[in-house]
Amino acid sequence: MSRLLEIENLRVEIPALTGAAPILEGVDIGLDRGEKLGIVGESGCGKSMTALAIMGLLPGAARATGAIRLDGRDLLATSEREMQGIRGRRIAMVFQEPMTALNPVKTIGAQIAESLILHLRLPKAQAAERARALLDRVGLPGPRFSLDLYPHQLSGGQRQRVVIAIALACGPDVLIADEPTTALDVTIQAQILDLLEDLVAEMGMALVLITHDLGVVEETCERMMVMYAGRVVESGRTADVFAHMAHPYTRGLFAASPRSALLTSAREPSGRKRRLAAIPGQVPDPRARPPGCAFAPRCPRAQDDCRAAPPPLAPLGAPGRADHAAACLHPHPPSGMAGDVAASAEGAR
Amino acid sequence: MSGVVRKTGGRRLPAASPSLVVGLVITAIFVAMALVSLVWTPYEPTALNILNKLEAPSLAHPLGTDFFGRDVLSQIMAGAQVSIVVAVVAVLVGAGIGVPLGALAAARGGLVDDVVMRSTDLAFAFPALLTAVIITALAGPGAVNAIVAIGIFNIPVFARLTRGAALGLWKRDFVLAARCAGKSDLAITIEHVLPNCTAVLVVQATIQFALAIVAEAGLSYVGLGVQPPQPSWGKMLFDAQTYIYTAPWLAIFPGLAITIAVLGLNLLGDGLRDALDPKVRRAR
Repeated sequence: MSRLLEIENLRVEIPALTGAAPILEGVDIGLDRGEKLGIVGESGCGKSMTALAIMGLLPGAARATGAIRLDGRDLLATSEREMQGIRGRRIAMVFQEPMTALNPVKTIGAQIAESLILHLRLPKAQAAERARALLDRVGLPGPRFSLDLYPHQLSGGQRQRVVIAIALACGPDVLIADEPTTALDVTIQAQILDLLEDLVAEMGMALVLITHDLGVVEETCERMMVMYAGRVVESGRTADVFAHMAHPYTRGLFAASPRSALLTSAREPSGRKRRLAAIPGQVPDPRARPPGCAFAPRCPRAQDDCRAAPPPLAPLGAPGRADHAAACLHPHPPSGMAGDVAASAEGAR
Repeated sequence: MSGVVRKTGGRRLPAASPSLVVGLVITAIFVAMALVSLVWTPYEPTALNILNKLEAPSLAHPLGTDFFGRDVLSQIMAGAQVSIVVAVVAVLVGAGIGVPLGALAAARGGLVDDVVMRSTDLAFAFPALLTAVIITALAGPGAVNAIVAIGIFNIPVFARLTRGAALGLWKRDFVLAARCAGKSDLAITIEHVLPNCTAVLVVQATIQFALAIVAEAGLSYVGLGVQPPQPSWGKMLFDAQTYIYTAPWLAIFPGLAITIAVLGLNLLGDGLRDALDPKVRRAR
């Protein structure tokens, strides 16, 4: 059975003087229409690289191997010319920074109409009509939000709505949203996420939501993937992963988010204010990754075998949770969540 | 939904700075002078009148007459035509070739970029005016060759400027967004990169325009530009040398014309730079 988007054993490396530096290794993704997949991880773990690899827009020297199939067609083997017909038409992208993702010297109407004219060969008048309808749909109704407005006349949230309208103009099959709410106000974040969710349901797209906010994934996506140092370390249905965070890195991410603090009491028994648990250390440089599990140097549970070879992503085998897999030799056993995370956060400190 | 949306639509006019206003007025006067001279000058600029030769400024001849009795004011007005036409066409030639070259270098990078940029280095290695002198000396004097010669040394200026501005733009998110929308490099260059370069290019064009006027005057001065009897500011200066003590107005007025025209264009360029600077303008 051919899925809408299928990524198999994707590996991206950048040639360096000291030998090729792998940016991504063994990434597998399967996505069907209407599905929402969340990819989480801290900065530099390969989330955005995965997105760029799907778009075929990896930076100059980077080389991708493996397979990225859209409806069975391998995008890695597709010519740049043909990719131009796929980008924007079948796969679209929403960016993190709405302040810079719009061209400052063109009206928003022209920017939305552009891809309609390019991909669907609509005449100008019709493209303008569709642009108007799209703006209405993303919550920027006329006549207040005219097509003749320039980006600097809009607020950040309004601009992100325009960016979404541009991405959706041609009715893509896959929408990749790279940190779409990171640069926005908290109050606007929820609105934009709701809008994305509605649109995905309405248009039957598949959504890849890239974020470092576990809360966003929990609310929006039915499946999730945690990435660390270019590898998938835990994946499965969001509910399963949240019920049992098996990989120590997933737990670390959760413990470091303000949400975990809400689950525990804000003050410790001693009365001292509880602080968020940062994961000590940082993501290793792709040119100098440790031979074993890349997370081992920062992991409270690491043992000698962790440092020998990178553990494969293996199903945890819990009954009824077939999809749930983790790349860890010593995963956390399933147990009650909240207190458990708080405890492991203590341990990590 | 938060945020206030201005209803005005299009871009607002930039606030006018003094240098913009003064530069604009001076430039407008020179252009008007050239246009008026097409249909009317106080005297026929090339009409000889030996009886009135070397007359000091008077009511009849506000700026005096030269050795052949030609009216200096009429000659300066007609000379403005030549200066403006030569400068405009030379800048258009330079920009017309330099901007696409620079945009190509920025879009392609690698070998193309190297070839284009090393070529501009080569062009910059020769003094501009000397290059123009050599070209006109080889191709023969005349207005058209002066235009070509001045245009050629404008090419690397525009090529470099465009490449520099475009390189920065290629790293911007909206260009990545355009690529994600499936646009080709050519379409991105035309639709996204060049429109964002216009401000710097317009400013540079006014400055090159001023330089071209000086260059044209220089070429005419050494006899390689516009040929007599067609009046030209540089030629007038050359002719005035002989009478610098007996009839200083012959040198003073064409010299002033060049100076003021160049000053006006430079002020205009400065004013435009301030007015078009997004950091100043985009005070929301």
